[in-house]
Amino acid sequence: MLEVKQLIKSLPNGRKVLNGISFKVEKGEFVGILGPSGAGKTLTLRCLNGLLKPDSGSVVVQGTDGKRVDICQISKRELRRARQKIGVIFQGNHLVKRLSALENVMIGRLGQISTFRSILYGFTDAEAAEAVAALEKVKMEHMADVRTGNMSGGEMQRVAIARAIFQSPTLLLADEPISSLDPSNARVIMKLIKPLSENIPVVGVFHQPDMTAKYCTRVIAIKDGKVIYDGDPHLSENLLAEIYGEELQQIEANKNIPALIPSEPTLVHTS
Amino acid sequence: MTWKDFSLKRYRKYILPLIILVLVTYGAAMVCGISYGELGRGLVSGVVFLGHMFPPDWSAFNEMLEPAFQSIIIAFLGTFFGALLSLIMALLAAANISNPWVRNITRFLIGVERSLPEIVILLLLVAAFGLGSMPGIIALAISCIGMLGKLLADSIEEIDHIMIESMQSVGAKKIQVIFFGVLPQILPNLISYTLFRFELNIRLSVILGAVGAGGVGYELDYAFNMLEYHRAFTAMLIILVMVFSTEQLSYFLRKWIKVDAALK
Repeated sequence: MLEVKQLIKSLPNGRKVLNGISFKVEKGEFVGILGPSGAGKTLTLRCLNGLLKPDSGSVVVQGTDGKRVDICQISKRELRRARQKIGVIFQGNHLVKRLSALENVMIGRLGQISTFRSILYGFTDAEAAEAVAALEKVKMEHMADVRTGNMSGGEMQRVAIARAIFQSPTLLLADEPISSLDPSNARVIMKLIKPLSENIPVVGVFHQPDMTAKYCTRVIAIKDGKVIYDGDPHLSENLLAEIYGEELQQIEANKNIPALIPSEPTLVHTS
Repeated sequence: MTWKDFSLKRYRKYILPLIILVLVTYGAAMVCGISYGELGRGLVSGVVFLGHMFPPDWSAFNEMLEPAFQSIIIAFLGTFFGALLSLIMALLAAANISNPWVRNITRFLIGVERSLPEIVILLLLVAAFGLGSMPGIIALAISCIGMLGKLLADSIEEIDHIMIESMQSVGAKKIQVIFFGVLPQILPNLISYTLFRFELNIRLSVILGAVGAGGVGYELDYAFNMLEYHRAFTAMLIILVMVFSTEQLSYFLRKWIKVDAALK
């Protein structure tokens, strides 16, 4: 589980980008964070795994040994330990492009193996088998030895999910995982992320209210660094207008694109 | 556009810079005591001198092979240790994995090295170690830092910051990020820059040899000093073949790697 309390962060120029963000996520929940550009969605997410240190507030997660730790208070070394159990999926450009899909999946456990082993790329057969199994879950095992730099956006994102599965995290974060994908690939990715939330809390930042309505169990809307909505993922027109303001038209325009794709895509091998 | 745009008047703005250039060149030639008569005489005597060198003394060929091999070894070891040294410096000098203080200090050191001629480094080392290939190897290794260190640091800085962050977000230590993320990404650049540097180092090892590092450069210098011009000519031919073949080898290897890198 994840408990965020009163996150506050100011820029050097005094502007408060996070102004008291609080929420709680239990396992079984797939929470989508929505909000207009510059509202503080990604900053909030970065606070959740310590990439950003808030000025005040706390982020309590379950540590490696089951104990609860506050990400904002622990030392660098303890943070590294805590991060071993926090999976993160970024926008898709975060894979090591000159390494194969399998090697990228193995990066998920980098924090959990000794430095000496990692320098020699020394993963055991059991670990390699597990990594392949993770790739199988996202239907990418046939491309295990292909460099990720040669893959399409959707394929790269599936490898990123396999990496998170292999890491076996107790909390999964996703920073705009579908923003660079076309609607049909985006749905494939959402379908892959959703079942992960059965065992662990999943928190994602999204730009597509229709996607969060379809796949998330709960939506949190952030505007001007504050939580302005927390609840049912199906948002009314009025609520959307309130959240997005002038940006709404642009989002409505994007929403029409999926309608052009005839049927629900299913997960298939791509080559 | 009309025909007027092509009148000779458009060259007017170049007249003043041209006059300044001519005056500066002429002034510099005066200061150094260069005269056209001397230049002509020098050219003639140069050609005559080359005639004296011909034909090469093939009996010296076998004796020259070992020094030539020594020069190649000096260049190879100098490049190898130089690349290693430069890689370490580059990792310290890259903004996305190093801290700002270390980065600025290392960048400064790399800049200082770049402004030091190789011969100055060698003379300092010869003073410390005495004559021989060892100061030559160390001098070449250090001389790599200025160029390789900067180029590699720049290629590391090109790596997407989000890739490094994403590896840190699974709890990876910096050294793990370097071995699993940074090194695979810069490997094609590392190899191709190092091969390029090897070409330069072959030439440098000949020059440094003449100054005290041994090898075929020393043989050339020695033959000139003993007025054995046919022997010197042999050394020159060997150097020519050596430099040309390493350049070709390195060119083909780099081309092959570039193809590989393009496939990513």
